[in-house]
Amino acid sequence: MAVFNRFEAAIDAGIGRQRLGYILLGLVLLFFLWFPNDASQSNYAKTVFISGFFYAIMASSWALLAGIAGQFSFGHMAFMGIGAYVAGLIARDGFIIAGLGIQITPESISAIGAIIVGTAVAGLVGLVIGWLLLRLRAAYLALFTIAFAELFRIAMLTEYDYTGGSNGLSLRPLIEVAEVDTARQIEYYLMFALLIVCLLLMYRVVNSPIGVFLRAMREDEDAASALGVNVVRYKILVFVFTSMIVGLAGAVFYSDVGSERIIPEQLEVLQMSLIIAYAVIGGMESMIGAAAGAFISRYMLEAMREVVITLPFGLTMADGSDAFTWETGAWRFALFGLVMVFTLRYMRNGLLYPIINWFSGRDLVMKETVSKRHDDDDDPTSLEDRDE
Amino acid sequence: MSSAIHLELNNVSKRFGGNQAVDHVSFSVLKPELIGLIGPNGAGKTTLTNLMSGMLKPSSGTIYLNGRRIDGLAPYDVTRAGLGRTFQITRALSRMTVMENMMVPGLALHPGMRRMELEERAHEILDLLTIDHLTYEYSRALSGGQRKLLELGRLLMLDPAVVILDEPFAGVHPRLQETIYGYIHRVHDDGTAIILISHDMGAVFELSERLIVLNYGALIADGTPEAVKTDPAVIEAYLGEEEEEA
Repeated sequence: MAVFNRFEAAIDAGIGRQRLGYILLGLVLLFFLWFPNDASQSNYAKTVFISGFFYAIMASSWALLAGIAGQFSFGHMAFMGIGAYVAGLIARDGFIIAGLGIQITPESISAIGAIIVGTAVAGLVGLVIGWLLLRLRAAYLALFTIAFAELFRIAMLTEYDYTGGSNGLSLRPLIEVAEVDTARQIEYYLMFALLIVCLLLMYRVVNSPIGVFLRAMREDEDAASALGVNVVRYKILVFVFTSMIVGLAGAVFYSDVGSERIIPEQLEVLQMSLIIAYAVIGGMESMIGAAAGAFISRYMLEAMREVVITLPFGLTMADGSDAFTWETGAWRFALFGLVMVFTLRYMRNGLLYPIINWFSGRDLVMKETVSKRHDDDDDPTSLEDRDE
Repeated sequence: MSSAIHLELNNVSKRFGGNQAVDHVSFSVLKPELIGLIGPNGAGKTTLTNLMSGMLKPSSGTIYLNGRRIDGLAPYDVTRAGLGRTFQITRALSRMTVMENMMVPGLALHPGMRRMELEERAHEILDLLTIDHLTYEYSRALSGGQRKLLELGRLLMLDPAVVILDEPFAGVHPRLQETIYGYIHRVHDDGTAIILISHDMGAVFELSERLIVLNYGALIADGTPEAVKTDPAVIEAYLGEEEEEA
């Protein structure tokens, strides 16, 4: 502890925590930019990273919706699915809006056009669901969104002729490059760029007055309303915004960037639980924490598929090998569950919160104000005293 | 503070099932008065507050503030119309800092103002309320009394024409009570009408220029503290049959 305190003091006196944080963040970004150029990395490793970026968008946007705005929704994967399915169906069948004289044929719409329509439809459904949820809070809101997500999943599963049922729906590939390595590299950068753009957009919202209103709404809707916050408007806004973010992520990811088809299994409540778990482990009230939590968790879940333990003291297995290989199967999810239980019990703000808090210098500000209180005057003086 | 004040309640009633919580209440506030709203438990004080602030819709009757009908408006719209309130049980936004608590009404009511100006204003108010040293603390770290002060501070960020203070002295240390007294005088002197709800009769009689008394949801007296003190209906409401027997 003494060593850490000395380190902390040296950082505070020198480079400063925030600057150090930015430098480290820059290094992490450089690592991600460099990674696909490392010839020793397989396409499988890149696929794991692409999947990590996708789940980072899902978890960070859920952190905005639930952790910051207090709307504990289970419908996030459904909105992602809406973006993906609509993009797929539009690109395959086109669409006609008779009243407006709009007719889009499959030939006239590009993969990007289909993704834009998918994103817009996810936002529209978010608008309707947000409006329906206005009077629901806490458990009722969660139950409503579970019902909505299941309804959507069952519809996708049942309408086999249109959606492909359990076989899923292929979307038009966004990147059509024949050479596999190059295609994977482009897909990697595309998904990474999407994550960065989504995080920047969400941070812009959270650091604007809207972010203050969303957090006020999370704390106490009635009090926020009494303080002049139009709770209805911001509740709907956050639903539409996060629905569009995940709709876009889903439409891009399943346009053969991270996966070649969207299947209803991806929309199960279990998958939604995983998104929540990633956000909780990383930190529900921090989008960067939730994104990092999702990426690290995805990576660890993949890395733990097969655990190899080298036996000590010259011990060998019955087959003569000096290592014990454990095919973890579903056990890795059980271990993951244990981490979540630990997080909820001992670190409710997420495993990364202390690190983010330290780098932000927030605890420093607190120490300063508390010490100021002791320095100034312990006794609060009355207004009359101050006037004198 | 706002110069024009005209709050008018006309036959406002609220019924919850078979319970007539507020029964045809009418009164007006035409100047920056300091009004005490009193009555025994269950008299309908908090329900009336909720009706005025938009938390509840009246079953019948109308409420106007500066010519605008505010009954049936959402609470945020009532606040924007110029009526601010505190809550009987303090509702500080606990996982937000004191400054962020102050910024919520600031940003909501003054979207055109620069953040730095709002922060300066918030500092001035917090200093006035003697909690400036807690600016960057989470409000959950504040004591009950400090939370009361924070709630009063948030009100000032609204620039309201009328404020309703619901039990501002409940559970507050006498020294902080002095601070709240000072706050009430300052806000009143700045031209804001104050409706003070409190069970602390000493404070209400000391501070109020006018008293409105409710009993079983109905307005039973409206006048100066001296007149209300001797009003037989008020005496009966508070002391019941014993007074008659005496």
